[in-house]
Amino acid sequence: MRPLNIKDRFLGKHYPPVLFVVVLVLMLYGCSTTAKHEGMTPLTFEPGTKHPKTVSINVVGGEEFDGLGRPQISNGALKQALADSITKSQMFSAVIEGMKSDYFLMITIFSFDQPVFGFSFTVKMEAGWTLKDAVSGETVWQEAIKSENTATTEDAFAARTRLRLAVEGAARNNISQGLEKISRLNL
Amino acid sequence: MLKRFIGLLFVIAILSITTGCANRATAKLTPGSDLSNIKSFYIVQSPEDLDTCGLIKANLEKRGFTATIGSDNKPAYKPDAVVTYVAKWMWDITMYMLELTINVRDPASDFPMAVGNSLHASLTRKSPEEMVDEVLTNIFSAK
Repeated sequence: MRPLNIKDRFLGKHYPPVLFVVVLVLMLYGCSTTAKHEGMTPLTFEPGTKHPKTVSINVVGGEEFDGLGRPQISNGALKQALADSITKSQMFSAVIEGMKSDYFLMITIFSFDQPVFGFSFTVKMEAGWTLKDAVSGETVWQEAIKSENTATTEDAFAARTRLRLAVEGAARNNISQGLEKISRLNL
Repeated sequence: MLKRFIGLLFVIAILSITTGCANRATAKLTPGSDLSNIKSFYIVQSPEDLDTCGLIKANLEKRGFTATIGSDNKPAYKPDAVVTYVAKWMWDITMYMLELTINVRDPASDFPMAVGNSLHASLTRKSPEEMVDEVLTNIFSAK
């Protein structure tokens, strides 16, 4: 008698329907994959004005995963994406660590709205942007910026990847809008 | 017949383990914001959830505040703060509120002064009234 392999032993002839359910769950249920800073960095961004000043960045309110294990945005990843975007676009002369910069940019992630399952994932995000003069401490500009992004099965088959792409896209759009507004400031 | 459902049960078990008893209740106050001077709130009714604003209004009034509801982002009068919210509902035998986020905003700039969020999955679900109370309690005690 032929020894049963794992497939026969546990699933028998019902292997195809069970496999179908597993694939469906993988397609629909998105969790546990971290949003990466590379995906949040806008590919192209041309600032209207390049400010010959230095800036330091602080991001608060972020977290890698929420209570359901859905990916969100960590403070470190958003900060890195923002720093990369500013450096690449040369909007400020340099991004520096610490308090010795000319300006201080603080991003607060206020809300993150994302689905648990589905074929099409739309992620909505709201972040508060505050730009302060580091010397006087005066708030130069402050605005809450809302952004969203939708990822479909054409972007990724697996839900976890699709949700990560949607999250990264929402952050990327938020960074684009924020930098666009800063580039219009007269600093 | 029993074997047929082994795979399904496994998948359901995994989903239950990963989502069934997830909890979170957080609130944060924007640096420089002060909620202690607020007396009146204007609640913007979400077109995706028409009922939760009534619960928020009732809870704020119970705390001694004046609260009105409107569908327009710009109220006709000047309240001390504007409230917006996002409620997420799920189905598990019955419908329940999975997640509630409430934003308290500066009426002039629309910038959030405080934000609270509660998430309770199916096994630890709370009634919508309890969710609203939990979020607002956390917002008013946030530092």
